[in-house]
Amino acid sequence: MSLWGWLLVLLVVGIFIPRYGFLALYRDWRSAREREQVEDALKHLLDREQSGRHASPESLAGTLDLPRVKVTHLIADMESQGLLETRGAQLHLTAEGERWAIHVVRAHRLWERYLVDEARMPLNQVHSEAQRREHFFTDAQLDHLDAALGHPTVDPHGDPIPTREGKMASVKSLPITAWHSEGPVRIVHIEDEPAIAYEQILAAGLRLGQVIRIIERTPQRLVLSDGETEYRLAPTVAANVSITPLPESEIARANAVPLATLTQDQRGEIVSLDDAVQGFTRRRFLDLGLTPGTVIYPELGNFFGDPRAYRVRGTLIALRKDQAAQIWVKPV
Amino acid sequence: MTEQTLKPNDILTKAEALRGTLSTSFRDEIVKSLYNEAENIARRAVKTAQDKKYDFDQKIDRLITSPIVGLPIMLILLGVVIWLTVSGANVASEVIADLLFGIGDWGRALFNQIGIPWWITGFIWDGVYLSLAWVVSVMLPPMAIFFPAFTFLEDLGYLPRVAFNLDWLFKKAGAHGKQSLTMAMGFGCNAAGVVATRVIDSPRERLIAILTNNFVPCNGRFPTLIMLATVFVAASFPPALTSFIAAGTVVGVVLIGIAFTFLMSWLLSRTLLKGEASAFTLELPPYRRPNIARILYTSIIDRTIFVLWRAMQTAAPAGAIIWILANITVGDSNLARLIADWLNPFGLLLGLDGVILLAYIIAIPANEIVVPTMMMVYMGAGMMIDGPGTSAGIYSLLVDGNGWTILTAVNLMLFALLHNPCATTIITIYKETKSLKWATVSVVITLGTAFLVTFLTASIARLMGWV
Repeated sequence: MSLWGWLLVLLVVGIFIPRYGFLALYRDWRSAREREQVEDALKHLLDREQSGRHASPESLAGTLDLPRVKVTHLIADMESQGLLETRGAQLHLTAEGERWAIHVVRAHRLWERYLVDEARMPLNQVHSEAQRREHFFTDAQLDHLDAALGHPTVDPHGDPIPTREGKMASVKSLPITAWHSEGPVRIVHIEDEPAIAYEQILAAGLRLGQVIRIIERTPQRLVLSDGETEYRLAPTVAANVSITPLPESEIARANAVPLATLTQDQRGEIVSLDDAVQGFTRRRFLDLGLTPGTVIYPELGNFFGDPRAYRVRGTLIALRKDQAAQIWVKPV
Repeated sequence: MTEQTLKPNDILTKAEALRGTLSTSFRDEIVKSLYNEAENIARRAVKTAQDKKYDFDQKIDRLITSPIVGLPIMLILLGVVIWLTVSGANVASEVIADLLFGIGDWGRALFNQIGIPWWITGFIWDGVYLSLAWVVSVMLPPMAIFFPAFTFLEDLGYLPRVAFNLDWLFKKAGAHGKQSLTMAMGFGCNAAGVVATRVIDSPRERLIAILTNNFVPCNGRFPTLIMLATVFVAASFPPALTSFIAAGTVVGVVLIGIAFTFLMSWLLSRTLLKGEASAFTLELPPYRRPNIARILYTSIIDRTIFVLWRAMQTAAPAGAIIWILANITVGDSNLARLIADWLNPFGLLLGLDGVILLAYIIAIPANEIVVPTMMMVYMGAGMMIDGPGTSAGIYSLLVDGNGWTILTAVNLMLFALLHNPCATTIITIYKETKSLKWATVSVVITLGTAFLVTFLTASIARLMGWV
């Protein structure tokens, strides 16, 4: 056989060999893509149902960014699998569809928690990363992740993480635009869609778990304050921030200041670690003895101004400014 | 009692149900109670006198972290350690070299006497053994001086203060303050620097420290830098100033390397290793009297012997290859010469030449043998040699005999600073990251930087008509 003959044989084998051939790989890739699409569709339906609206083929096409023809195929496909029912123009999840959808939501939120706490990825990048990782996990694998993370109840945006059985703890919250008193409130959720509003909220410096008050309210803007900084947001953007009123016991803590604001040798008693600090960083802080009730003071500055070294329990520990800002102290 | 009739599964279910009722900060409470208990025990068992040592420590801390005194102290200490290493190693290297090369001569004579064919004798004694002897004699003394000095400062409690002082700069580059320590360790040996990055607990920042460690020259590269600085830079100054000018030039090269460390850390943290600065916590321990026995043990056994052993494993095969290249002749030149001629156009493009590139390719196991390999090819010798004994002799060999210019010297210094890690370091990076990908990346980014920078300086110099 000539050289070309051999090459032809090689090519044919490369395409058709089971499992590792080009065709087999392509088929795997296709079915993976299809499954991702199904799961994304399920999530959309669940999201709509939880907010009391109904999904339609149009809303699905918009969310998945697919042409109508493909969406029609997808819907027919999912209906035949018993995942959804169409009633007129409305799409409804079946019990089986809902079970699967909640499973994907659980995977997504557990991954977000992992990415923020353990991989320490910036908050504005975790959504897209979790979007890629949420598929192809079994319940048992998720249980493993859940246990490794210490059974978290909410994701980094404040959304509840479903249990394996599909139960979701409901957080009583309302958009900050619907809060009409002067009292302090806690940010329990920052909606990450639309992304533009989310970026604006993060850029303003608001974060999950922060305690704030509304100090000015006009139709054009909302001025919030955490006692240190003032945050200005347009009401349409602010509507993406959900809050819950602060329990009486925690109002006392709202008087605390971040450790970073203490001056040289000014003593403070640690009130708590910020709720935004979880996972690795929180464990590290606790290991160093930065527990509630401990007295701490800045002892050593630096010629760049950052980091500073703090005396705690007789040890000198250097912390960067942004970390010292996550430790709440009461000056004593 | 109902508790006694509970089965393991029931207990698990009950625990599961109760978990929901825990407050979110229950872990904080657990740690707090552990600390309280520990404090109670400590209060009963430990007596603390409000001692003078505390005030004294504080005074020193204020001094070495102050803007006016702190920075100069760091630079002076760095200079002193490097100077101690280089000058102290010179003498010891010569003694060890005389001894080891003496053994080589004796072995060669013995082999000749009992009539073993020349090529076996050459392969073993002029190839493998010579390369081992060279690496040991050049590598051992500086490490045996540098590592104890480094460990001394570490034990004293000074090094954490350096990390504290410089953290802000590293933070700006998206890296960790402790990278200043692994960087300083790199002056001793980049492989040891890579191992030292274990002190950085964030994987992202640790990778940055690993990938950029090679931009500080290890003491295996100092001989090349010192030779070039003495022959090309210091030669145009009065003889009395020679050693100062040479030292100053090397310090300048080191500072360029540190600048590249920051630049590359900054680039990496914005591209391949995106992410924000993570938890930085650094304990500044009280100053204490260094424990000399422990210093010697950790620095000699853990660091020096460890690195030397890895280097010897890679130097032996390299010696064999070098000898083969120098002793197989095609026509009237040997293989080394032929490959060097073939590499020459590319070398010239970078402001270097083919021999330099060849030396860097076959001397990848250890930078110590770059200069002897270059000299071997330039002088047409059959094994690695020291070259002419005086700097005037080296100058005329390189410039008059082999067409070097000041550009060649400058670019070789830059190339020696920026080029790929030696084989020992690459293997160490692979073992530390357990990833072929990151080991490859470490080679690609350093070699890429070296090619780019030397190409740019060569092109600019030629465009401006300087050479």
